This record gives sequence, structure tokens and C-alpha cells, in this order.
Amino acid sequence: MALLELEEVTKHYGQLLVIDQVSFSIDEGALVGMVGPNGAGKTTLFGIVSGDVRPDAGRVVFDGVILNRLDPAARCRLGIGRTYQVPRPFGGMTVLENVLMAAQQGGRLRGRESHQAAAAVLERTGLVRVANRPAETLGLLERKRLEVARALATRPRLLLLDEVAGGLTDPEVAELLGVVRDVRTEGVAIIWIEHVVRALMDAVDRLVCLAGGRLVADGAPVAVLADPAVREVYLGTDVAVNAEAHQ
Amino acid sequence: MEWVNAIVQGILTGGFYALFACGLSLMFGVMGIINLAHGDLAIIAAYVAIALIPTTHLPMVWAFVVIVPIFAVGGYVIQRTLLQASLDRSPFTTLLVTFGLSVIIENVLLEVFTANGQSITIGTLITKSFAVNSTITISYFSLTVLGVAIVVLGGIQLFLSRTSTGRLIRAVADDREAAQLVGANYRHVFGIAAAIAFATVALAGLSYGTLTEFVPTSGVTTLLFAFESVVIGGIGNVWGTLVGGVVLGVSQQIGAQINPAYQILAGNLVFLAVLAIRPRGLFGMRTA
Repeated sequence: MALLELEEVTKHYGQLLVIDQVSFSIDEGALVGMVGPNGAGKTTLFGIVSGDVRPDAGRVVFDGVILNRLDPAARCRLGIGRTYQVPRPFGGMTVLENVLMAAQQGGRLRGRESHQAAAAVLERTGLVRVANRPAETLGLLERKRLEVARALATRPRLLLLDEVAGGLTDPEVAELLGVVRDVRTEGVAIIWIEHVVRALMDAVDRLVCLAGGRLVADGAPVAVLADPAVREVYLGTDVAVNAEAHQ
Repeated sequence: MEWVNAIVQGILTGGFYALFACGLSLMFGVMGIINLAHGDLAIIAAYVAIALIPTTHLPMVWAFVVIVPIFAVGGYVIQRTLLQASLDRSPFTTLLVTFGLSVIIENVLLEVFTANGQSITIGTLITKSFAVNSTITISYFSLTVLGVAIVVLGGIQLFLSRTSTGRLIRAVADDREAAQLVGANYRHVFGIAAAIAFATVALAGLSYGTLTEFVPTSGVTTLLFAFESVVIGGIGNVWGTLVGGVVLGVSQQIGAQINPAYQILAGNLVFLAVLAIRPRGLFGMRTA
């Protein structure tokens, strides 16, 4: 059975149609990449799944539960974790406090268990060294890591990663990729939005392409990038070349 | 020496102002609610003490043991119902709703308790004091109120910084959306913050009703002083609120020392000066 199902989801902002009858499903433990030009509706789609954005029409079903009427906190507790494209740590709190809060709230852990879980997440995301620093003092890479760490601490079954590799150097991307692969081995399904297509190509086993609020391609990464519709979306340029230009 | 006395009395009054102001500051800092009924809630606490406590055979000094928990529960309930419903519409709605609440409270109190001045009598405890020297006399009750204010503010500070619920309140105040995304039920968190705010305002109201005579409309004046303390001290800073209260109290007493008619004016002038020179308040945090 599919873990997440979107059925004919539509969203307008005023007159602007941002998501146009999108349907797709994600299986448990899948690692799916999502690409598309700016304004394609990728982040909006994440918002619809995480609960930040209310769709005008269509259903979102997670593990058999219809999510439409649930708020983001309830969805998180059901097992949907999400990162923001621009990291939003709780600035006045330490890195550990940020992660601990996620473990206690979303992860529903108490006392020692929550501390152990938070420590494990910090270890895995390479944040142990800065655990006691206020989150507002972190640099971009560490902020991105914290964004992932906080989402992981909620013990998700579906993790939505929104451009966690954007703005990072190649070795940093490789490191982050390691974390994502590691998470995946535990059976967590992942949808990963990324502009750095090359980073995705190495990791995902399925790629979906969104353009103008519509799903234009869905399948094996190589096939999707070879798809004429996808090439069209990227203004006729070779997607791989475009990805190089992004580095 | 009379000036030193003015400062000492000002500090004592400031403790009371801080006790009054901390709930206002908390509700604004966490929920973004400017509670215009804050002063009236305090007056309710004082009236409840007068009406209820004699029936319990409890000494009036211990009224807070009964009234503070009632207020805490009431705060949670009102936040989860009326205030949350207005917040869901817009922040501006909360301003109108709490203003309406203030009008309703005052009129109900007028209807039930009339406009005659009353006060909470705790017997001879209120008059007990000790003389530091020939001009400075310190009332035990005022000193107790200052002590309570310090304990309450310190307690709130510790609670916010050391406990997981406190962390949760800070997280929700910082970024409500991000807090929800990691599973925090912000409505419940708002309820907890309101419970704390209402509990402190009950303490403030009981102190006020003991220190001075009150009428159903006394809440308006006290609300102004609470506001001024919060703004002088800076929003979002617990100790700032204490300093704000003390600065206001001392300003008023020094004003009164110059001319008794200048008491309130002096406080307002200092408030305006802070607003003009340092709008974030003396210890205000930068706005996110």
C-alpha cells in the first residue's frame, strides 16, 4: 500500500493556479526526487502535505488517514517530517534544545528517551560539536543540518526535504547525501526537492518533474531527464548541463 | 533623606507594577495578544476575594491559595475558547474582544458590587512596618509584594529556560509555524501561557486590593501602569519587566516628592522618554 497519496490536488493563490490536479503516490521507504523550475509549485506541494498550505480541491492521504482537516502538528505526529528551504531554527535555543523539542513533541518521547533520541540524531547529522551553541550562531551548512536533524527527531515515516543541498559545496552535499541514505535504510520514505539535479541523480530511485503546477514526468531518473517534456521545461537546455551550471 | 525614601518607596511600588505587568508581557510575547482586560481581571480577583473568602473561613492573607489556581484554570479555558477564536480571525480581533471583555467586566462588577470603594482587609498585617531611620519606613506587606514579584518573575524565567514546557513556549513564541511542524500543539501552549498570565494577574489583583481601595473601574488605571512597565522594560524580557516596574515606581515617587500632583505625570513622562529614545525598551529583544 502507498504511504502517501495525493489525489487531484489543486491550489490557487488568488487567480494564480499553482498546483493543477496533481496526483501521485509514494511507497513506504521510497526515495523520490522532485525537480522543476522556480515557481513550479514544488514547495507549495510540500506545504499541502505538511499542512502549512490548504488545498482548494483534492485529497491528501497518509497511511490510510485523510489529512486535509489535520493541522501541521497532528500531521507531524502521524509521521510526516519536513524541512524548510530557508532553515528556521528556534534561534534563541541551543541546537540540542531545538532537536530535543522535536523529539518530545513530534517524536512523542519523554525524559531520558527523548534525550537519547536527540543525542542520536545530533550524532548522525554531525552536530554534536555544536550541540550547546545557540542555533542563531550557526552557519548555513550547520543550519541546514539542524533543519534535517529537527525533522528526523520527530521520528518521521515520510521525510520531506526542501532544497537541503542548495548553497552547499560539493563535499558538503556528499556528506548530506550520506545522512539521507543512512536515514533511508531505516525504511523512512523521502521526497527530496532539489535544484542541484546531480545530487539527486546519484541518490534517488524515482524522479518526478513539476512544471507550472502540473506533473510533467514521473519515473526512473535517467528516463525522466531524457523526457522531451522535461527538456522543454528547462528551456531546451540539457538538464545535466543546467545542473553543472548550478554548482 | 526624603529623596532616598522616595526611591525606596518607588522600588516597593515597582515590585507591584512588575507583578502586574508580567502576565501582560507574557501574553503579548507568546500569543501576540494585547490583553486590554488585563487590569479588570486583577480587579475581579480582588472582588472574588472579598465575596468568596469569608465563606471559606480561610484567613484573607491566604486568599491567593484558592484564587490563583482558579484563575490559572480560567486563563487556560478562556484562551482555548474566546481568545483562540479571535486569534484565528486576526490579531486585531483580539484587541477588540479583550476591550469588549473589559467593558463587560466593569459593568458586571458595577452591577454586583456597586461603585463603592472596597478593599481586602488582612487585619493589622497591613499596617506593620519597620523604620530604617527617622524618614524611611518600610511596610512589611509592600516588601512581601516586592519579594513575591521577584520570586514569580524568577520562577517564570527558570520555567521558560529550564523546563521542556518552557522551551516549548519559547519555540512557539519564536516561530509558531516551525513549532507546529515539529509536532507542537500551539493552541495548548497558548493555553499554558495564558494560565500563567492569569495566575500572576490574580496575585497582582489581590496585592492591589490589599494595598489600596478599589472600585470596578480601577482596572483601567492599573492596566496603564502595567503597559508602561512592559514598554519601559522591553517586551519579551522577564527581568526587564521588573526593572520597568521599578523605573516607573521610582519615577512616580520622585515626581510626587517634587509635587504630589506630579506623581502620575512623572511616570508618564519617563515612559514617553523611553519610547522616544529606546522604543524597544531598556532590555528589549530585537524583533524577529
